Amino acid sequence: MGSNTTEAHPIIANRMKKAAKAGLKIIVVDPRKIEMTKVAHRHLQINVGTDIALINAIIRVILKEGLYNQKFIEQFTIDFDKLTNQVELYTPEYAAKITGLAPEEIVATAREYANASASMIAYTLGITEHHCGVNNVFDIANLALLTGNIGKPGSGIMPLRGQNNVQGAGDMGCLPNQLAGAMSLTNDEYRARYEKEWNITLNPQAGDTQTRTFDRLEMGELKGLYVIGENPLLADVDMNHTKTLFKKLDLLIVQDIFLTETAKMADVVLPARSWGEVEGTYTNTDRRIQRVRKAVEPGPNTKEDWVILCELATLMGYPMHYNNSEEIWDEVRKIAWEMYGGISYERLEKEYSIHYPCPDENHPGTFIMHERFHQNEAASKKAPFVPVDYTPPMEPPDEEYPFTLTTGRRYESYNTHTQTRHYAAGVKIRQTEETVDIHPEDAKALGIVDGEIVQVRSRRGELQVKVKITEQVVPGLVFMSFHWSETPTNVLTLNEYDPISGTAEYKACAVAIERIN
Amino acid sequence: MGEANLVKTICGYCGTGCGLVLEVQDNKIVKIRGDKEAPVNKGQTCVKGAFAYEYVHAKKRLTAPLIRRAGELVETTWEEAYQFIASKLFDVKSKWGSNAISMFACARSTNESNYITQKFMRTVIGSNNIDGCNRT
Repeated sequence: MGSNTTEAHPIIANRMKKAAKAGLKIIVVDPRKIEMTKVAHRHLQINVGTDIALINAIIRVILKEGLYNQKFIEQFTIDFDKLTNQVELYTPEYAAKITGLAPEEIVATAREYANASASMIAYTLGITEHHCGVNNVFDIANLALLTGNIGKPGSGIMPLRGQNNVQGAGDMGCLPNQLAGAMSLTNDEYRARYEKEWNITLNPQAGDTQTRTFDRLEMGELKGLYVIGENPLLADVDMNHTKTLFKKLDLLIVQDIFLTETAKMADVVLPARSWGEVEGTYTNTDRRIQRVRKAVEPGPNTKEDWVILCELATLMGYPMHYNNSEEIWDEVRKIAWEMYGGISYERLEKEYSIHYPCPDENHPGTFIMHERFHQNEAASKKAPFVPVDYTPPMEPPDEEYPFTLTTGRRYESYNTHTQTRHYAAGVKIRQTEETVDIHPEDAKALGIVDGEIVQVRSRRGELQVKVKITEQVVPGLVFMSFHWSETPTNVLTLNEYDPISGTAEYKACAVAIERIN
Repeated sequence: MGEANLVKTICGYCGTGCGLVLEVQDNKIVKIRGDKEAPVNKGQTCVKGAFAYEYVHAKKRLTAPLIRRAGELVETTWEEAYQFIASKLFDVKSKWGSNAISMFACARSTNESNYITQKFMRTVIGSNNIDGCNRT
């Protein structure tokens, strides 16, 4: 669901394709006819942002036809009644009207998901980058719990993560509410463990998300921002607004390997070391810890991220000294031993990768989470169903802005493209600039041809971009990526967020497209 | 030309975690192939993992700290950059409190650097205003 796997996670897509050839049934839920649909058993080409209508209808079919796992629900879940009440409205016919699907497709999908011996749901930002992103995820969890599709091989919920170490960064405590080892900051016992190790009293109040940081910047409450290896100016929604906010800062520190668009606005820029120049570990999308190694000698006047922070900390009165990355990792292993205690560098040399949690040296690592659900143990903590309702995208198309713009990634480029501008010599790149991908019928109605430059305008900004005519999108829907600073797509996107996660609605905003005379 | 040296590592792009073998010659990555022993990719790579590595050696890499003087970013020493940052952070903290400072951590950097990043924020600054690109 909402995963353009072949372009964003090509090697995972290869494994899915191979499994499909061996008989795995893949159902693709996506508003675009993405490449993965070629190997799919079924493509549910839903209208953008209508996932909950679809999932609630699937749940209702499963309930009405008695395809749910009664024993699992009784043993491990609560609030089943709430779920049954909430989805009653979502008949296949009602959901069909919202999603643009046929009722029969919804019914067939429900039967296939529930009747398979194991079903997995893999999703990406097509699920989370909506004003209702958290509700979308809740509903996926409802579906998995309803059918007991969790904690056994081939089942579960698999968010495919977008950066090499986005999982690890959060796990290491780079979250406003969490310490390293996924320990809640507001838990007195965990905090005490860190206070002892770090010899300091910690602030017990959860901090600000990036979204909240921008809000407080707008209110004049935030004065200093330290950005490491990120380019929020280009990556965040509503770029003109982001730029105005950054100008309000008293102090902007940027630590990066390039002078990014964000770094150009900084008061001070620190030259960091990149992949290939440092030692350490990454945590991948399925919780594998793996060793990354230094391959080349870095520039003499650059410094590694942790070295910079230790030197600054020491100068500011809190001395931090480590001789190498292994010493840091061993501190993590000691303090968050439940997760990483058994994952030494030495073991990683021999075993290549180990899945956390891995509390001690004799533990094999945890390949599958939540296996307790199938071990007939009394559940210590039951999983609640969290019923949710469909809410339409925040900015529907209208007469003035008749198209829905949805954004995403393309195969050869990566995020704000600061690195993928530098391909090895001789590599043929198909997409060398941004395009607005539009359906042939819409192009015909607008009188525009493939390769023509058009003006794309939203309530927040405008840009000029080349037209790509393709049946990958449906009439009324256009697609752009945010890779090129020359065509900063996020001047168009909408500054509306999920109230819980703070994730913006990158996947739907209204735009107008016009010919340039 | 020096002799090629092989270094095993993990890809730095998406979250799949493919194992790679880097061929290094004269302190430059000259070729990348998928690591057949890697459990995730078993020797495969995508176009980014195999070919989009020239950024490491790009001329546009930052080579010295920069500081803003009379509106322009100009080269400076680490000592001066550190002094500037330390004194400005102290100023903001004493005038507005530690809650007036936020940090955006890097989802591309190692676990070790990220651990130190949050430790810096929580100990030196005394704030939990730290987040990554989880929301974008």
